[in-house]
Amino acid sequence: MPFHVNPSSCDMPLSQSAIEATKIPYRLLCTQAAVGFALAMSISFIGIDKSYAAEHVINMTAEETADDGFGNKLLAYRMISHTVDGLDVTDRYSSDATIPGPIIELTEGDKVKLTLFNAIDSGYPVSGVSKQVSVHVHGVHYKILSDGTLKVINRIQDEGAGEGPENTFVSYEYEWDVAPGTAGTWAYHDHNYDNHNGSEHKGLFGAIIVNPAANPKPHNAFKYSKEYVLYLGDDAFWGVEIDSATKKQSKHGANPTLNAPKNTDVRFHLIALGTDLHQFTLNGYKWIDPGTPKLISQIAIGPLEKHVFYVRAKNSTQYVDNNFSNKLMGMKGNFIVD
Amino acid sequence: MKEQIIGFNKRIATMAVFVLFAIAFLSSSMAMAAIHSFSFTAKTLPNGQLGYAMGAADAEAVIPGPVLFVKQGDTLQITLTNNTATDVGFNVPGLVNSNTAKTKPGETQNYTLHANKTGTYVYHGDNNGKELLGLFGAIIVDKNNGPVDSFVNDDGSIVPVTQADIDKQFVLFMVGSTFWGTEIAADGVQKPLWAAPNLGAVENDLVRFHVLSIGPGHTFHLHAHRWLKTDTTTVIDTKLLSEGTDTHSFTIKAGSGVGPGDWQFHCHLIAHMEAGMHGSFRVDPAGGDGHSVVGASPYGNILLGTRPSEPGLVTLEISDEPASWFRSPRGDAIVGLPFDIKTKSLEVIYPGSSVNFIMSDTNAVHTISSLLWPTGAHHMPFNQTDAYRGGGIVKLDTPGLYVFTCKVHPYMFGAVIVDDPETEGLDLGNPAMDYMIDLVTGIAGLPTSSDLAVRLLRTFFVATSPNNWQDYSSGLWNVRFPTLPVRISGAPFGNVTPGGLAAPLSILNIVDAPLPAATPPTTPGVGEVWVNTQFEKTASKYKAGTITVVNATDWSVKRKIALPEINMNNPHNMWSNRDQSVIYQTQWFDNKLSLINRENGELIKNIQVGYAPSHVVTLPTNDDITIAINGENSIAVIPVGTTNISKMMPTQGQGHTSANPHGHWISADGSRIVTPNINTGDVGIYAANGDIHARTGTGQGAPGAHPIAIGMMPDSSKIYATNLLHHSLSVLDSNTGALLKTVNLIADYNPIDGSFADNDLNGEIAVGVLPIQTPVSPDGKAVVIAATGGQIVIVDTATDNIVKMLPCDPGCHGANFGAKQGGGYYAYVTSKFSNRLIVVDLDPNNTGNLKDAAIAGTISLVATGGTANDDTVSQLPGFGGQGILAVPTVYNGWVQNLPDEWKAGLTTAQRNPIGD
Repeated sequence: MPFHVNPSSCDMPLSQSAIEATKIPYRLLCTQAAVGFALAMSISFIGIDKSYAAEHVINMTAEETADDGFGNKLLAYRMISHTVDGLDVTDRYSSDATIPGPIIELTEGDKVKLTLFNAIDSGYPVSGVSKQVSVHVHGVHYKILSDGTLKVINRIQDEGAGEGPENTFVSYEYEWDVAPGTAGTWAYHDHNYDNHNGSEHKGLFGAIIVNPAANPKPHNAFKYSKEYVLYLGDDAFWGVEIDSATKKQSKHGANPTLNAPKNTDVRFHLIALGTDLHQFTLNGYKWIDPGTPKLISQIAIGPLEKHVFYVRAKNSTQYVDNNFSNKLMGMKGNFIVD
Repeated sequence: MKEQIIGFNKRIATMAVFVLFAIAFLSSSMAMAAIHSFSFTAKTLPNGQLGYAMGAADAEAVIPGPVLFVKQGDTLQITLTNNTATDVGFNVPGLVNSNTAKTKPGETQNYTLHANKTGTYVYHGDNNGKELLGLFGAIIVDKNNGPVDSFVNDDGSIVPVTQADIDKQFVLFMVGSTFWGTEIAADGVQKPLWAAPNLGAVENDLVRFHVLSIGPGHTFHLHAHRWLKTDTTTVIDTKLLSEGTDTHSFTIKAGSGVGPGDWQFHCHLIAHMEAGMHGSFRVDPAGGDGHSVVGASPYGNILLGTRPSEPGLVTLEISDEPASWFRSPRGDAIVGLPFDIKTKSLEVIYPGSSVNFIMSDTNAVHTISSLLWPTGAHHMPFNQTDAYRGGGIVKLDTPGLYVFTCKVHPYMFGAVIVDDPETEGLDLGNPAMDYMIDLVTGIAGLPTSSDLAVRLLRTFFVATSPNNWQDYSSGLWNVRFPTLPVRISGAPFGNVTPGGLAAPLSILNIVDAPLPAATPPTTPGVGEVWVNTQFEKTASKYKAGTITVVNATDWSVKRKIALPEINMNNPHNMWSNRDQSVIYQTQWFDNKLSLINRENGELIKNIQVGYAPSHVVTLPTNDDITIAINGENSIAVIPVGTTNISKMMPTQGQGHTSANPHGHWISADGSRIVTPNINTGDVGIYAANGDIHARTGTGQGAPGAHPIAIGMMPDSSKIYATNLLHHSLSVLDSNTGALLKTVNLIADYNPIDGSFADNDLNGEIAVGVLPIQTPVSPDGKAVVIAATGGQIVIVDTATDNIVKMLPCDPGCHGANFGAKQGGGYYAYVTSKFSNRLIVVDLDPNNTGNLKDAAIAGTISLVATGGTANDDTVSQLPGFGGQGILAVPTVYNGWVQNLPDEWKAGLTTAQRNPIGD
């Protein structure tokens, strides 16, 4: 019997501290979550209904960021404009090109038209054949022309903005169908710059957060005061903090200090990229492994995997990658609860 | 049961093997717990890889091995016959196995397994990394009657799936950086898809994937498709496969919600993507045939391949073994007659076949990077941004010679000749481009008849064949090249032969060249000279390398240190603490730094420090240990008196390409740590606390300079950096990092005809081909450069001009200064492909004229009867000279910190090399 996807069956802010605070065994919490999950299942068919669907029109560029003072530059996406059913929400994003790039919030049932422009100086860098940038998105539905890859991969055309090996486009429009079953946090990244592998590891990455279409789930009873997207790179976290009330995105950059109001619930969205495999900890905290009833305090994560979890902010601590070299190189940041 | 198997085999002997697979598959669908008997044979494939065959004795071995489908509760009885030359087991992590012993060559053993848990399991040969050569396969244990993995439909619903619903299945093994595939049709027939296949299906087909890995970890990603993380409700499109063995099975509806297309699947580790770890999942519209495209096969179109009509595959194993760093698994066969290739590191294929790389015999990280290739070749240069653990695969369409190296360990060489069968002899260049080659340093269209091309070829055959090394204890040097005829550019073959076309390489042979006996310097040195004889092998350990300690007062070989208890692996470079009681030793093909008691040669501690630690230097200010982590992106610091890394100081800004520092140096005042950054082509200047002070490119706009070693003036004013692949010396201002001068070390050489002339008008005909270590004398008067091409080049620091060239041995590599008794200094110089130490005296007549610099003597690095040791030398005696350290340390900044008993052996000038 087919039933509906619900990506987080145990969808509650279940830090160890939260459990202790409320004296509720976490199994019971999970039971509650499962009830919510069943509810969501029964109602989520409505989610397919057009009434929940929004049209997103997004314009972005790919740019060079300021160099590091020693002649090295990174690449980054910048949000130009984002409208949702005509409503301009651009002010939730940084006006600069940032690493990570814009975090785009969507809901199952939405449609997205994303147009990418190429603002990278064509003289940089010297190596490689492709000067074209693209957006290859994970998770949502799209046809092959929105794959954001070079012709050598998709066999149709170079699907990006700028001069590719086979095709040149001033801009490139991607259409995403944020279909039912795609709820969750997903990466998007370049797949075309330099060569068919793209330059995601040089800063061209961002994320989409797809909310479930159906809303009576328990997690909507909770308000996350903050959401954090933390990309685990080969030598640093690249993070952004999102204020849930204003949806403003801030603190972009390497190993950012994250802030959380005490006793509020906050959500982490981890995505890895690069070549390293990681062991993430938020020291002193435990959380529910999404989609399972398991309480964990560490997660192994590899490039382009995602891991989303919630905790109740109780104590200040650090988030850390325990990979041997990365830990010694200082791949960690502060999580300040106040 | 055994008789039954034999009878069964006879019955199907004339049938195609896949029918047996089909029977095995169908039999597993019985409802009752069943006992399955499988007859396995481990075999060597035509390209030297290993694989399992199932069924009759003449059945074809396949990679991955035959897929075994069983039900929960079933028993698997495996009868394994080993027809390879190595011990082979049948290990299944996660399932109980009656027999963990390996089967010896020529023998047969039984292994009984109980499939008590559902899941997907790796079986493998369990033979010290050799299993990565193809001895791996999948066991899939499904519920007895229940569903298999559900799929996520285009409307978001999760749909249960039964075995009968499945249209096709794929087994994809992620090994090194190569996908190995098998397709299983709905009727159970298994079809090998070999290496780097493209998969096919028709839109809305239900396709079950079994992704497995063995060796270093991966993440598997398939474009535009979603599936369930096993045993969760979480929808994913990328899945980690952890190091060791790991598996992940899932079901998708092809093109669900996204339609037809060529959807890429790949490992999402950037380095693996760059190494070729991807393929296409082609979803045809309804009505299409959805066929898969078979990849490159070990039986295919290669030298001695058995199926020339199919794309072939040769494999090169990345190894820590001296000379065999890129070793063909059939190396022993192709070295011998009748092919007489002379090296295990050269393979021959035909256009359209592929070369596969697998890091199966190494403890370090590497890159697999093109050094040269036929002009106009497809898919070149092959390269990765970072060093990594894994492998690689690349399809070669254009005839000619391809040479690969590791950027971290740049004398690791492997070569593939893609031969156009239409031409006479093996093609060394592109036949369509007059047999020319391109080099990674930006040289394009170099004739293969040129002297430079011939030198590179000579370097390759010397480096990769120990029989071609200079063994001074034998008194004669022979270099033998293959007798195979080769095809080169139309002009004369260097200075060697007229005509050039289709000449056998063996015309380059060197026969019985005399090697003089060692003649030690008449004036003794002070203290000891520690030499990393990095290739010397000993009986009680698997990895190569010893430290040879020479007593400088009588030039005897005092001690050999092999450290068999830690399997010391390729010791590369050393430094000592202030009181000279502890020697710090890097293991360059590993991730360890060893602390050794100088007086007795015993191990104090072996410390994990990051991959491919290359050089170690102490801070003169506080005696803290700094280690260049050559395979990664930092300088590790071990505070003096401790045995743990306190921090790793990044050599580049966050998110930037790894610098991969090699042979660093520290200014005498301790304020600057200077690294040659091999991966980013620059010299990095860092404060003692790690702050990046400056980074200066040394390639002058051309790629691939490969700065590799640093020397510094004793007053900390100037930096000298050798650029290995640009054959140049960069001179930089220590304070600003400004590039002051670039000295071309091959200005006097004509790369086309091989003639020498004083082109740089410095009064000397001098060249330094592939320069490496470049210390500045403690008194700051001269730079001594050891150049791989067999030269020692001396540069006057007053003018930064070359003043002298002295002869060195093949693979000339290490140089460092020590005190000469009574005053002055010796430069000690080592060579990888010989077994002697050369001692250079910059000022033998005490005239101060660097033009008088001369070789004061030579010292054999072979153990004698009086040599103390901790293991018995077994092979390559005294070879592999690389890092070198004189005790006491006599450089300005360090010499002042020596204890009095060491200072007592030095003159006043030696104690204060540049005065007060």
